[in-house]
Amino acid sequence: MSDLDRAIAQLRACRPIPENEVRELCHKARELLIEEGNVVTVNAPVTICGDIHGQFHDLMELFRVGGDVPDTNYLFMGDFVDRGFYSLESFLLLLCLKVRYPDRMTLIRGNHESRQITTVYGFYDECLRKYGSANVWRYCCDVFDYLALGAIVLGASNTLSQPAGSVPVGEDVEIEVCNADQQIISRFLRKGPNGAMGQQQQQPTTNGFSESGSSGPPAPTNTGPPGSGASGASGGSIGNPAGAVLCVHGGLSPLIDNVDKIRLLDRKQEVPHEGAMCDLLWSDPDEIDGWGLSPRGAGFLFGADIVKVFNHRNDLSLIARAHQLVMEGFKEMFDASIVTVWSAPNYCYRCGNVAALLELSEDDSGLGVLARSNGDVNRSDGGMGGQGPRGVLMENDLLGYNRAGPARRYRVFQAAPQDSRGMPAKKPVADYFL
Amino acid sequence: MSELQKKWAKARLSNSMQAHAYTPTQVMGATAIPVPGTTLQPPVGIPEFNELDEEDEDKFGSLSSIPNHPQDDDSSSASSVSSTGTVIPSPGKALFARPQGVPNRSLDPIPWTTYFERELFLPSADGTITYHVYLTSPAPPATSNTTSPTPGTTPGTKPSTGGPLFVTHHGAGSSALSFAVLGAEIRKRLPSTGILSLDARGHGLTSLTNPNPNPNEPIDLSLPTLSQDLCNAILLTATAMSWPDIPPLILVGHSLGGAVVTELAYQPLLPPSVSLLGYAVLDVVEGSALDALQSMQTYLSTRPQGFNSLKEGIEWHVRSRTIRNSVSARVSVPALLVEQSEPQQQPRSKPWRWRTDLSSTQPFWQGWFIGLSKKFLGQGAKGPGRGAGKMLLLAGTDRLDTELTIGQMQGKYALQVFPEAGHFIHEDLPEKTAVALVDFYRRNDRSALVLPTKVSELLAQGTRV
Repeated sequence: MSDLDRAIAQLRACRPIPENEVRELCHKARELLIEEGNVVTVNAPVTICGDIHGQFHDLMELFRVGGDVPDTNYLFMGDFVDRGFYSLESFLLLLCLKVRYPDRMTLIRGNHESRQITTVYGFYDECLRKYGSANVWRYCCDVFDYLALGAIVLGASNTLSQPAGSVPVGEDVEIEVCNADQQIISRFLRKGPNGAMGQQQQQPTTNGFSESGSSGPPAPTNTGPPGSGASGASGGSIGNPAGAVLCVHGGLSPLIDNVDKIRLLDRKQEVPHEGAMCDLLWSDPDEIDGWGLSPRGAGFLFGADIVKVFNHRNDLSLIARAHQLVMEGFKEMFDASIVTVWSAPNYCYRCGNVAALLELSEDDSGLGVLARSNGDVNRSDGGMGGQGPRGVLMENDLLGYNRAGPARRYRVFQAAPQDSRGMPAKKPVADYFL
Repeated sequence: MSELQKKWAKARLSNSMQAHAYTPTQVMGATAIPVPGTTLQPPVGIPEFNELDEEDEDKFGSLSSIPNHPQDDDSSSASSVSSTGTVIPSPGKALFARPQGVPNRSLDPIPWTTYFERELFLPSADGTITYHVYLTSPAPPATSNTTSPTPGTTPGTKPSTGGPLFVTHHGAGSSALSFAVLGAEIRKRLPSTGILSLDARGHGLTSLTNPNPNPNEPIDLSLPTLSQDLCNAILLTATAMSWPDIPPLILVGHSLGGAVVTELAYQPLLPPSVSLLGYAVLDVVEGSALDALQSMQTYLSTRPQGFNSLKEGIEWHVRSRTIRNSVSARVSVPALLVEQSEPQQQPRSKPWRWRTDLSSTQPFWQGWFIGLSKKFLGQGAKGPGRGAGKMLLLAGTDRLDTELTIGQMQGKYALQVFPEAGHFIHEDLPEKTAVALVDFYRRNDRSALVLPTKVSELLAQGTRV
């Protein structure tokens, strides 16, 4: 496949490939994607990324921070295109890597992978500008229709892998936050079995990011170290072998009460304006009770109770999703039952946010196998023996107690220095605005 | 559009519709391709492409709702689509001459009565100002199956709850009739809806009772004054119409009006009993508005100072693409101009002048827009906008400022972008704007909203979940 490798090299240099190569690439990609289910099964270790939005140079920075393909397995949760100036190069590179390393790249669909949205938010215009015709846009949109709607990560460890030369990782570390230079910013310990609060470890090796003392009571507010975005609510959950992680671009749908219902959808279409497929790509978690109306005009808002019931029913320990800009790069909510990962630093080249990626390490102890679940209803008790009659959600499940989460390492990174060449001149201001 | 172009466009359309389920709207181009969902055939009652120049406005402005304006102008081009396609020039017809004026399209003013049920002159409680509003009442509750009440119905005989009330506020220099066509399009899709459109002070027929003692001092057009005016007008209308309750409200503001409706939603001006379902802002964003202010005086100086007739004024708006829909321009432009009665020094001076002197409003410009993005997002709102739906309609995606870009990507509001529209988005594309607003209303109509049961309620009922 030297052609493909050459295309990859060309795209890595941020140069578009010829139209006929795009057509061939999209054709191959479609053949590959059509074989995937609506919910792709992915084995840990895997690095989970959120929105990219055509910020090609930041995607390169992401690969630098997270490790290159194929050395690192990646799962991208959609929104590859629109807004940034290099949607084309970013998406085609990811697609090339998918075709070249199918088992090491997983791409799922975001709400911007849609004909209607891309005509308004930049990708269509970009294709027209770079090729003089909309053909490439059409090829890409045809691929969008075949992208999976979600992924299930199995076999994630509840202890972090130890990168060479780093500070040893204790068994009880649940969350580690690193910067782009592999330095640890903070660590959070698991809650004890008695429900004691997780403690944050002092990190003498790091700079001023380190913060002493334990985090406060579970709260949605941001009590983590500055820049980490670790919320107080993510102070740790009870240590136990990790369950499965569901990855989806937006969130849950009132029409989807178990993962199998996602599998039954007919996904090979333009993203509809309503219904389960739309909700999966458009919904947001929010600090509400139950379901709410999404201010976006599509999808729903869903509260902690919805996430906890869904996770419990499907033997999930965590939902990873993207879709919302988080200034700190990532945000855990609802006692670490759901996390938002955002991977477009300085979004739109002006929002001033940092980006993050989430690493889940492989479970090599064998313990995690117990908790593996295919997302089937009540298939396992998740290794929670003795915690009460599982299968029935107890009221205290909703009051802060949470099943085990996999150990999570977040790498936070900033925008790459921008090469201003090739950026379209800023549109002149409107001349009439009263 | 020539015959040849028409044939090409038709062929292309049918081809592309077969090959691809979806054809994109040509962005910023004159060759607007219908978006999915709209039919390829123009709506009934409109002769096909009955215009000679390349502008694309009439596709969006339906003439079908206008009585007394029969399309009797299909002398040659409109009916020839179905013929052989060969154009035979008739003798005496200069085939290649530039069209003089716009022969196939009337630019006569359209009266407001085509679009609204009634107009009201509402003196304020303190007697300083008389508000002028146009109103089409919302339908009464579902008990009666009548359509909208006809003009001339005596007030007080009909209940007023049932349909929602869209309250619109125009931008600086515009008038209440800016929303006339939009209102009709909304009511086409949602017949129970009422439309209330206000002339702001210094605009349209709203008049200050005591003329300003100092004529050099501009009228107070500050944001708090304008939002209080809008609030007063809503309440006075309800009183005048003897509505038992104020219907559920959707606020729609264009440009300056966007700032006014946002202020009204943000501040606790309306009585707490009023239900505000949502507010929609048309083509105004704090950051880009403040940027544009620097060049506003330059822009204003390039406008004609006056016109010889209303028709000329309408034609200027259409030709300059300030308003890209001739039907909208025909109904809204007459309210912008006023005939100078005093004898002019120069014999050739143009009598129809701008009703509102925009240059003199400059002291207020900054105040209209500063803080708009934050207020639009509803952060710290003290008014009914706290729980209300928010929608922003823009003509061009580049106009979002940083705050709204972040807010949009955090899912704080709905955004609709119409790249093919100009600044007067609701006049250029009344149908698309109406579709967006009606969808927005339907989503935020709490009476119709049914959400799944909360988990805590299931648990309280003892349901196993």
